[in-house]
Amino acid sequence: MEACTAVEKEIDKVCSKFGNINDHAKRVLSDLVKQMQNLKDEYENSDSEHVLTDIQIDILKQNMFKIKETISKLASDHRDLHGTVSKVGKAIDRNFISDFAATTREEIFNMPEKVNLINKVICEHFYRQGLHDVADELARESDLTPEPHEKEPFTEINHILESLKVKDLEPALAWATVHHDSLEAQNSSLEFMLHRLKFIEVLRKGSTHQTDAICYARLHFRKFVHRHEKEIQTLMGMLLYVPNGINSSPYSCLLDSELWIEISELFLREACQLLGVCVNSPLTTCVNAGCTAIPALLNIKQVMMQRQVSGIWNGKDELPIEIDLGNENKYHSMFACPILRQQSTIFNPPMRLICGHVISRDALNKLCSGNKFQLTFFRMKCPYCPVEQTPSEARLIYF
Amino acid sequence: MADVKSLEHPTLKVPYEILNKKFRTAQKTIDREVSHVQQQATLIEETLQQSEVKAKDISSLLGGMVEKLQVLKRKAEESIAEELVASNVCKRRLDHLKEHNTVTPMGTVSQAALNQWRRKRLDRMVVEYFLRNGYYNAAITLADRSDIKDLTNIDIFLTSREVEKSLANKETSKCLTWCHDNKHKLRKLKSNMEFNLRVQEFVELVRSDQRMDAIKHARKHFPGFEEEHLSTIKQVMALLAFPITTDIIPYKSLLDERRWDTLIEQFRQENYRLFQLASQSVFTVALQAGLSALKTPYPFLYYKLKEHTKFVKISLIQCNQCYSETGENRNPTCPVCQPYLNELADCLPFAHCSQSRLYCHISGLPMNENNQPMMLPNGHIYGEQALTEMARQNNGQVICPKTKEIFPFKKVEKVFVM
Repeated sequence: MEACTAVEKEIDKVCSKFGNINDHAKRVLSDLVKQMQNLKDEYENSDSEHVLTDIQIDILKQNMFKIKETISKLASDHRDLHGTVSKVGKAIDRNFISDFAATTREEIFNMPEKVNLINKVICEHFYRQGLHDVADELARESDLTPEPHEKEPFTEINHILESLKVKDLEPALAWATVHHDSLEAQNSSLEFMLHRLKFIEVLRKGSTHQTDAICYARLHFRKFVHRHEKEIQTLMGMLLYVPNGINSSPYSCLLDSELWIEISELFLREACQLLGVCVNSPLTTCVNAGCTAIPALLNIKQVMMQRQVSGIWNGKDELPIEIDLGNENKYHSMFACPILRQQSTIFNPPMRLICGHVISRDALNKLCSGNKFQLTFFRMKCPYCPVEQTPSEARLIYF
Repeated sequence: MADVKSLEHPTLKVPYEILNKKFRTAQKTIDREVSHVQQQATLIEETLQQSEVKAKDISSLLGGMVEKLQVLKRKAEESIAEELVASNVCKRRLDHLKEHNTVTPMGTVSQAALNQWRRKRLDRMVVEYFLRNGYYNAAITLADRSDIKDLTNIDIFLTSREVEKSLANKETSKCLTWCHDNKHKLRKLKSNMEFNLRVQEFVELVRSDQRMDAIKHARKHFPGFEEEHLSTIKQVMALLAFPITTDIIPYKSLLDERRWDTLIEQFRQENYRLFQLASQSVFTVALQAGLSALKTPYPFLYYKLKEHTKFVKISLIQCNQCYSETGENRNPTCPVCQPYLNELADCLPFAHCSQSRLYCHISGLPMNENNQPMMLPNGHIYGEQALTEMARQNNGQVICPKTKEIFPFKKVEKVFVM
């Protein structure tokens, strides 16, 4: 956040200075124009053969001097703004990382076939999101043969989201009413939340509409009492403050526009669950994961450069650090050997000892090294419990 | 917030560069108009020096002064207004970046707002990717649909599209104008774009057999580049001595039509440098990192069903990522398991993992102390909950979903993963 604030400070300075110089220039220049116009009129009206007196010449000379001075000051004032402008650039460079691509290998996604794949992924993404025109346009411009796709469920969802964006609840309410039973089965509070928002919107119109609000509450809230009793009580409490304005009451947070953002998200989530699709497209998930990973990768890269061990990570087989993507982005089992702290591979698969503990084959081999000649008779102890066994008793397992 | 810091540099830097450019042109315009007014003032002063200054002379001079001052006023206002527009673009983008952590009335960062911001960011990234790859219509459509025109650099790419088009038609004039407009910056970047264009013009004159014109052209334009490019100039001049069908190497390549494509590519890169854009789009960078972070090497073995229930381990095949061709371990929600993304992820590094994390293949639930991992006699591991449930439904028998073997539940053994 500091990064944004720092740049914003500089930008604000630029804006206000440009504003000032704009006003200043306007005022000064129109003054000058007026003065000159007056002088000109004065001489025009006098006799054309009139010879200027010394006093008149003096006045003119002074005026010319003044003009020269004012406008050259104006020009140099403007020039002085350069410092302020370039400070913005410096603030951006200081607070944001320009070399964000340092950890990626450029050549990987440059090949035509890869570009083609990326375009296909993007195309799928937009068909899925219901933005058919974008996908069609892309397919045409990048010479993709459009693949047949079934009508995607997102068209309707998008329509409802659009109307929620302009604070129109009706399509969403209609949708929720149609899907009442399934939403109920999902234990979803979406329908109640929509009605709640509608109620708040009615109340927001002021005391003239409070009867409408009460009628609305009577009509719709009854069926939610068993699950949302507390919230309905809060909503009814709002009625106390209608005459004096809810803004200054303890209920003011219910008027926040944040509720609209939340309702859109809630609707999207519930609708996706109902249709059995993920909220995020695979592309979205990937890019979000990337955005989480890049700062960490840039950090580790920098540390490696400082310690001059940059050669160790060639960016080919494995990322140098673990990226925490949160729980929802884990899809496959990963086994890391608890002894060697290495991810298992085909050459180093997980082995289960008879006691049930799992270690990698490399670790197992290391435990019995030095006893190679009598491998079959050698009894080793499990690193985690007192059980003894021969190495050959360990067996390969598959996660 | 770290992602904003590391990925949004171009979002702010490009409008800044535009602001800086606007500032320079404004300064130039103001300086020019100021000097006009000053000349007029000097003229009046000189007239005043003469003896017997007549009122009608002075009033016509003053009329000129008023006119010049008005021009100055108009131009200054216009230029400053443009500068204000440019700085407001910066400001709008900053405001958008700050929406990243919108604070709710309760004082916490709003997750809902963050999710929406992320979707918008993806759209911004895709627009930029489209523009870089020349899918201009797709970019414009998307920017319209998700209302992010202000937040993307469509304008500068559209200008460059014009130049690229004209270069593709073998015209240099638009690109030369562009060079002239950005002369200051290009000199700073030590760009040889203009020189290459002039060379190309020369080559084209030779190709159309206007050798005298070619010499005139060279006389006019080459001396300015003498210092840096003397050897190239010598070589190019030698072209005059050869027929256009020559097979001699440096001259044959000079006459190559593909030089135009190189010019287009060079122009693109110079344009990126001018606006401090990296050579790769943020989108591909993020996609690459994301695929890597999600890519897992598991599982690396697969079996093939043969002769009904009897299975034979045919080979150990290293499957590159997440799932192999058999689709056996495919997880439909995993992005890297989608066919296209899977292919893209092929040559990328795996995610790093120092702590095991296991998921039951049957239920998808994590395996931990509440859902112990259990091993079937064939070595496959599943979660306790799923196996118990399966045994309950199947008279105490469990079927391995991967090999289709059937085992009695009591043969299932515990596994401890540290």
